[in-house]
Amino acid sequence: MLGGRYTRKLILAVVCALIVVSGLEALQWGRRGGRGRRSIEAFTDPNEKAEFFFTRLLYGGGRGWRGGWRGGWGTDYPDAEYHFMQGVRRLTLLDAGASGKVLRPLDEGLFDCPWVYAVEVGGWYLDEQEAERLREYLLRGGFLVVDDFHGTYEWAGFMQTMRMVFPERPVVEIAEDDAILHVLYNLDQRIQVPGIQYVRSGRTYEEDGYTPHWRAILDDDGRVMVAINFNMDLGDAWEHADTPQYPENMTALAYRFGVNYIVYAMTH
Amino acid sequence: MLEFLFKYPPTVFRKGDFVFSSGWPVWLLALLVIAAGAGLWWHVQRHHGRLEGRRPWAIWALEFAAVALILFLVWQPAIGIRSLRSQQNVVSVLLDTSRSMALGEGEQTRLDQARAALQSGVLEQLEERFRVRLYSFSGQIDRLAALDQAPPPGNATRIGEAVAGVLRESVALPLGAVVVISDGSDNIGGFDRRVMAEIRQSNVPIHTVGVGRTEMPEDTELSDVVVAPRALPNSRLNSQITIRHSGLEQKETRLSVRDGSKILASKPITLRRGEPVQTEFVDFSAGEPGIRNLQFVLEPLPGERIAGNNSQSRVVDVPRKRRRILYIEGEPRWDYKFIRRAVDHDPSVQLVTMLRTSPNKFYRQGVDHPEELEDGFPVKAEELFAFDALLIGSIEAAFFTPEQQEMILEFVNRRGGTLLMMGGRRGLGDGGWGASRVAEVLPAALPEGEAHTFVREKVPVELTVQGADSLVCRFDEDPEKNAALWKEMPALADYQTIGELKPAAVHLLDFRLRDEARPLLVLQNYGRGRGMILATGGTWRWQMGLPHDDTRHHTFWQQLLRSLVANSPGTVTISSDQTLYADRSDLELRAEVRTKDYQPANNATVTAVLTPETGDPVTVELTPSAEEPGVYASNLTAALPGAYRVEVSAFVGDTALGSEAFHFRRQDGVAEDFRPAQNRELLTKLSEQTGGRYWTLDELAGLPEEIRFSEAGVTAREIMDLWDMPFFFLLLLGLRTAEWLLRRRWGVV
Repeated sequence: MLGGRYTRKLILAVVCALIVVSGLEALQWGRRGGRGRRSIEAFTDPNEKAEFFFTRLLYGGGRGWRGGWRGGWGTDYPDAEYHFMQGVRRLTLLDAGASGKVLRPLDEGLFDCPWVYAVEVGGWYLDEQEAERLREYLLRGGFLVVDDFHGTYEWAGFMQTMRMVFPERPVVEIAEDDAILHVLYNLDQRIQVPGIQYVRSGRTYEEDGYTPHWRAILDDDGRVMVAINFNMDLGDAWEHADTPQYPENMTALAYRFGVNYIVYAMTH
Repeated sequence: MLEFLFKYPPTVFRKGDFVFSSGWPVWLLALLVIAAGAGLWWHVQRHHGRLEGRRPWAIWALEFAAVALILFLVWQPAIGIRSLRSQQNVVSVLLDTSRSMALGEGEQTRLDQARAALQSGVLEQLEERFRVRLYSFSGQIDRLAALDQAPPPGNATRIGEAVAGVLRESVALPLGAVVVISDGSDNIGGFDRRVMAEIRQSNVPIHTVGVGRTEMPEDTELSDVVVAPRALPNSRLNSQITIRHSGLEQKETRLSVRDGSKILASKPITLRRGEPVQTEFVDFSAGEPGIRNLQFVLEPLPGERIAGNNSQSRVVDVPRKRRRILYIEGEPRWDYKFIRRAVDHDPSVQLVTMLRTSPNKFYRQGVDHPEELEDGFPVKAEELFAFDALLIGSIEAAFFTPEQQEMILEFVNRRGGTLLMMGGRRGLGDGGWGASRVAEVLPAALPEGEAHTFVREKVPVELTVQGADSLVCRFDEDPEKNAALWKEMPALADYQTIGELKPAAVHLLDFRLRDEARPLLVLQNYGRGRGMILATGGTWRWQMGLPHDDTRHHTFWQQLLRSLVANSPGTVTISSDQTLYADRSDLELRAEVRTKDYQPANNATVTAVLTPETGDPVTVELTPSAEEPGVYASNLTAALPGAYRVEVSAFVGDTALGSEAFHFRRQDGVAEDFRPAQNRELLTKLSEQTGGRYWTLDELAGLPEEIRFSEAGVTAREIMDLWDMPFFFLLLLGLRTAEWLLRRRWGVV
């Protein structure tokens, strides 16, 4: 009985400690990102002027821990875009901002950024108004890249929300000869770009996502509106561009895919 | 009255020379006048009696004027003039017998009125003095044996050609004068400077006699339609319609444009007070490729006298060919994508684009084949000149070699293409274009120097007055709605300042920077083409900032790009005097032929194939012009009413330079319904320029006497005394009476 009382106190103490820690973590949510290297404020600069900004979609939901306590949308933030945009600025003539943007679907500023990136969409959540807004954004000519979700379960999670955006539009595999794979780089090799877990496990896949898929939702003219990177993790490849253990060729491939997505979005 | 006072008609004074027939020296007259003046002055000074101040002067002036007048008359003043010898000269009388002369005015037709006036003694008097030749004319001239043998009413009137024809026919005759009796309704053209010069060269005075009312009561007329003979598929066409009306002010009617039974456009019209000739504009869609037989119809109002003049037809060719535009962009930009999207489905425009994605790499879209533009921007004129328009985005001038820059200038100047330069961080002034050869083409000066003119700041856009009239900026036919739609447009993403506009520049859109309007879309003609500036790269916000089903961004770009190529000439361009030939069979065809690099082609073989609606085609070879290099011309005959197609092809040896087609319609039986009122202006001009006079039917009795004062034909010099003119006697009487009345008033009689 006594042992039971101590046990209860111990559990209570652990729960309290967790609440305090998570509260502190939550307080940091807006300021810290990724592995805590840069805050949102540090990486976004409202005064910077450029033709293109890496824009990250801030959505609800997510798998909690993987994206930190702030939700799945912030996975790899901001190192992924920080590294990737340096590459874009170096490899293309695009007037790309050194900073990035983080926007919610209902932010008016979203329409000033016709290219947006959403990560960890296996657990994303949009309410009806947000889904409606994202549909309008895409129909006006906006472009969405989704990334870093794996396996059957997460696909179902992605589609559940995507069906709120486009109930009627099918998801198709991107054909080998589609311009999106050739607009700047010829991406004839379809290689699964793994997440950072590959460094520890040696596996390129996660969950049951053994085969990578480059999928898309097309507009009425057959142009890609939503580029879907399923069973791969471009975000990690960008984020860990400076991690010695992460394969350089995977980062290079992820850069090429990312650059092609941007140039395609600005030409089609 | 004037003739009673001055004894002779005004023509005598206008044409004759003043002489003294006494033969005495004029200096003696002057001496006597001075002496008389001095004597009278001495007399008035000595015997002025009670007259004081200015009164003696007044008496002297009146007495002096009377004495001077008597001396003047003693010297026998006269007019020396040449006049036609009796029965030795021919006078041709031309009677208009066109359908408009059959219009009833009162109880008689115009033709009846003319006949009656001639038969009231005028013709008889003419025949007493001259050999009279009678003609009738409408579309052609016929010699008449007698006045009542006039042929049936003709469907057209060609006054100029009729007079010139009679002059040509009478070249061997002593033709003293020509009398034209007409309502002046010259309705099928041909009375141009050439014909007028030919008439004037003959030195025969043409007397014109106007018949009919100068204004039609209660009538509306759709007088003219100006519309481009060619249009791009589905493009907006603007037509300018001239309406004449009388007696129906403030009445409302409707103007419509029809293609067969389909109404393409329709708008209500109020016939404006104090504006008997009013101009209206109607826009409509050219529709799918094909030939449009358009009918412009003004709904007749109750009580109108002539309904046949309320419509006109025009042929508009909408060829299937897509016009090609080359767009070179120096960096990935959102505008590039959205411009491409705007014309993706446009059947009239093919947008070929070159996007510099990285320093050494271009991404091409819209090319005809994979090799096209593979080596970069064209280096040969014939390669660049194959495009109809050129867009230059955010790319620096230094990217182009000096030869390429010269070629871009010639693309506009010689080829007749349109250059549109867009704003961008490497565009316009910031791209160094201000110091380039191409700057000459542009409608504004471009700032040079270190300061950046391209700014990424959102600015609202404004429609200018010229923009409101332009099809490029037309979202709605209603000007107020159109202006409201422009006001709602989202701000541009960026802007670029340009320098002072050139004198011929027109700006259609402005952007507002704080409280100042700055030019955004500016254009000017240059050489055979046009230069334009769109001082932004941020119109994409119009697409992303408006609901996805709002088409304003796409409409603007479609209209802008179509306007760039709508008038782009090919290597062969055809022009003719008209597209509708009302009661006319002759067509003047002119073709301008150029080589692939658009130099005039002087040694080409140019043929025209005239294909009627029914019947066999006719092939005619065009002859080169001696004055204009590369120009070939010929006259064609459209023998029957109906639609015709003319295709002109040019070859040098076996090499085809190009071909161009043109459509027109010959329509008979309509010309006489137009301008039915008497055209007094034309008749007056014809008589004044040839030394004749304009007559009304009421004045016609004076014609036989006046017509003899002509220097054409067989003439003799005649001296016509002036000393016995009633005017002088009345003047003398008046002077003496005035003196007597003054003396009586002043008590010195």
